[in-house]
Amino acid sequence: MSEAALPPLETTGPRFGIKKPEQRHDMQGDMSDNERIAIAMRHFVRDFGAVAATWMESCVHCGMCAEACHFYVQTGDPKYTPIWKIEPFKQAYKREISPFSFFIRALNLKPKVTADELEQWQELIYDSCTMCGRCTMICPMGIDIAALVGLARHGMNKAGLVPHELWAAAQRAEQEGSPLGATAKVFQERVEWMGDEAEVEMHMNLDEADVLVTMSSIEIQKYPQSIAAVAKVLNHLGMRWTFRSDGYEATNFGLLSGNADWQKDMSMKLIDAAIRCKAKLLLLPECGHAYSAMRWAGANAYGKPLPFKVRHISEFLGEHIADGSLRVKKGLDTTVTFHDPCQVARRGGVFDPPRVALEALGAEVREMKDNRGMSWCCGGGGGVISIHRADELRYKAFEIKMRQVDETRAEKLVVSCANCRLSFDDSQKHFHWDKTAQSLLELVADNLAD
Amino acid sequence: MTQGRNPTILEVFQQQGLSRRAFLQFCAATASLLALPAVRAAELPAKLGAMPRPTVIYLSFQECTGCLESLTRSFSPTIENLIFNTISLDYNDTLQAASGDAAEAAREDAMRKAAGKYVLIVDGAIPRLQDGAYCVIGGKSALDSLRHAAEGAAAVVAVGTCAAFGGIPYAAPNPTGAVPVQDLVGNRPVINISGCPPIPEVITGTIVYFLSFGVPELDVHRRPLMFYGNTIHDRCYRRPFYDKGLFAKTFDDEGARNGWCLYELGCKGPVTYNACATTKWNNGTSFPIESGHGCLGCSEPNFWDGGGFYRPLSSGFWHGNVGAELGGAVAAGAIIGAASAYAARHRQKATSGDK
Amino acid sequence: MDLLNIARGPALQWSLVVFAVGVVWRLAGILLLARKPDYTEPRSTNTWGGAVRMIVSRTWSKREFLDRTAFAQTIGYVFHIGLAIVVFGFVPHILFIRSLTGLGWPGLPSGIIYVTGALTLAALAAALVRRLTNPVLRLLSNVDDYFSWLVTVAPVATGLVAVAHLGARYETLLAVHIFSVCLLLAWLPFGKLMHSFLVFISRGTTGALLARKGASI
Repeated sequence: MSEAALPPLETTGPRFGIKKPEQRHDMQGDMSDNERIAIAMRHFVRDFGAVAATWMESCVHCGMCAEACHFYVQTGDPKYTPIWKIEPFKQAYKREISPFSFFIRALNLKPKVTADELEQWQELIYDSCTMCGRCTMICPMGIDIAALVGLARHGMNKAGLVPHELWAAAQRAEQEGSPLGATAKVFQERVEWMGDEAEVEMHMNLDEADVLVTMSSIEIQKYPQSIAAVAKVLNHLGMRWTFRSDGYEATNFGLLSGNADWQKDMSMKLIDAAIRCKAKLLLLPECGHAYSAMRWAGANAYGKPLPFKVRHISEFLGEHIADGSLRVKKGLDTTVTFHDPCQVARRGGVFDPPRVALEALGAEVREMKDNRGMSWCCGGGGGVISIHRADELRYKAFEIKMRQVDETRAEKLVVSCANCRLSFDDSQKHFHWDKTAQSLLELVADNLAD
Repeated sequence: MTQGRNPTILEVFQQQGLSRRAFLQFCAATASLLALPAVRAAELPAKLGAMPRPTVIYLSFQECTGCLESLTRSFSPTIENLIFNTISLDYNDTLQAASGDAAEAAREDAMRKAAGKYVLIVDGAIPRLQDGAYCVIGGKSALDSLRHAAEGAAAVVAVGTCAAFGGIPYAAPNPTGAVPVQDLVGNRPVINISGCPPIPEVITGTIVYFLSFGVPELDVHRRPLMFYGNTIHDRCYRRPFYDKGLFAKTFDDEGARNGWCLYELGCKGPVTYNACATTKWNNGTSFPIESGHGCLGCSEPNFWDGGGFYRPLSSGFWHGNVGAELGGAVAAGAIIGAASAYAARHRQKATSGDK
Repeated sequence: MDLLNIARGPALQWSLVVFAVGVVWRLAGILLLARKPDYTEPRSTNTWGGAVRMIVSRTWSKREFLDRTAFAQTIGYVFHIGLAIVVFGFVPHILFIRSLTGLGWPGLPSGIIYVTGALTLAALAAALVRRLTNPVLRLLSNVDDYFSWLVTVAPVATGLVAVAHLGARYETLLAVHIFSVCLLLAWLPFGKLMHSFLVFISRGTTGALLARKGASI
């Protein structure tokens, strides 16, 4: 693929992403197999710290992780066993870095990982893992398998073994500032448009503000009403806030594709923008992995504690409603069920605030059978929704979610992650389902007290 | 009556004024002691009754005379019965009145007359170092005496753990190079009657069995299965306490006074084969465990070096300071582990500059 | 030196040394690898609490997983608890530990130990059948899994055979039993049996990291 022509976007239909290619390029660059392997191994090795090593030494092959993973549970295919997804990574660790690695290499007790294996593993590490962390919840040895998958992606990325669409989106993001074509120019245009449409005062590129507001490209391109919603809420709160065209994209396709350098670049853009406008709060939008990237990894990209707080919009709303500063009216007089975004709830620690908000809006919250930290993944996170060849698998995984939502018999379905929303919308179309996912932010923005 | 041949055992009994009935009682008691099956028991009077008293030569080497003391306390057959009525004990340097060259000559004579047929009983171990100079009797080393005596013997019976396995002299550091009888006698049947000392009736019972029926069934250590077929543990009357988990912890505690199992006080019953728990001592009076002391394992090889009479059987059988060794092992592990981590981190640094 | 004295003497002594060297080597080799500092703002600083919480809570599956994990977990516990009862409840074993550490405690009646040993053996057999027939486990399992199983079953089986006096003289069976324990001790640091130590470290590490984020433990 030439660097000059970026892959076309899919802008029609419910799914906004990279257009399904006629010919897939799931291998990037023209390195030989040996080179790919060597690069992958070198980058795997970089990631084997004490914590990752502890995990990789601890697996007892009990097989329980499979029982937690929506991909295995729905297909019965053992290759989707979570710990199996990182098998080459684990082999490389044992061979290169483990305490007995000298003997393992000398006696060839664990053979070198081959290029073939890595190619086979591409679909396991990318297509069939959303890094949702449910496997981490079941493992009796307490291994954070989801985190290991994230680490494994680093080596795969450097070796040029990323699924086509994910790589394409990440390349777009690094070069243009957005994975989905929402360049700074497009962003500013959309902000202006939403400001006019919704008659909301927008702030763009202020020199100083207390809150730097960030958005995800999925919202900018597909659910632009979120832009208006967040502006409404912040204006209602009387906060001094701003968007910045030099730092607005909260999604992190460096994280998703496994490019550690791009992940840092993308985080630093937001951090630098926040520092420039002396923000005290960096507000993250309805996006799951944005939270993982900035709240729980951003300061490490920066190399020291951030000079501002980082909050997810759902926890921001819940906290301000709880302390009375954000007044809402009970306009949602119905039963709702809330889908916890994996990265925000289970992996991120935000459970109560969305429920506080929904109850304040007058809704009766009906929890799904598996909710909060135990909620099932929508199947689209971690970049999976961008990979077209994974669609069938993702729909199968989604059946669990549909069933659980239906079982609550709630009228409305609310989510607080635009990628989940994209996944719900796409699956809704596929299954002709009657539930449309609603945005928590939009619901709050629509029900602000006068 | 005898007319030039040696009198049979039955005739000897009768000469002593004992009736045939007394002889049959002797046979019955012996058959019972040996736990002979009925058919064999019925054969005993006929066999013993018809044979002349066999010649028995008894040699003592590195021993404490405890085995002979035990033998003299046999209840059935009594020592008198044995040596006057059943066997012809033509040499025993403790029991005999004679001594010196005359006694030695008499022995040689008896051995010559019964060449190939006499039973050689040996107690005590045999030192090999310095050409056997550590045990010399009448100018001859034990080594030479045993070799010479074994040549004409029909069988060799090693009485006591010293003769059977080396016993006290063999215990570490074995400065005299003591060895058991079976290490020196290769071409004659050897029966080991181990024990320190063996039970009297076990010695006499084995001898009578041999005279009647030949070499009995032996275990891997050449001990008669009829006496050494079970462990003390498997026949111990205190076994129910072991099974219930009730153990004496010291020699005068509640458990000890209640007759609980002595495993914790070092009893080696589980690995000791002997008849103590069934036949017992002093005509069935008692045995060490019944008297409140754990079994020493005295009928087993190397029992002196078995770790200690008061250390439980399952205790670690260590040489040296285990604590220090394990401490050193932990230190070694830490150093090697740290080195491997250091090497690994070095490998990682080497890659961190790459793109 | 006879077989039993070799088994309970130098063999056991050396295998304990290998055990000690191996365990510490492996732990040091893992724990001394690089650690990256975390500069993000913690939601909670009670990371030790999180560590302990995960160590305790992972002893049993969460409600949501139980219908898929209960069977395998139960088999696992039968043999783990069974092993613990047999190893730490049988008086001869307790006395061995006392000779090494000075620590002792009252034991259980032998009958209970034998029954427990039999149940442990049965559960271990069931676990093997599961490993050989379950598709996930067939994919994951390697030589380490099967060898570690063997090395764990051998002491239980040989112990039962020894007390039953089956097939050879008691001292021989006892020696074989002790050799099998030596094998277990020597192997433990090098294969998956090391989970006996790592379970606390891995659960604790993850519990601490997740507690810091306020994430689900």
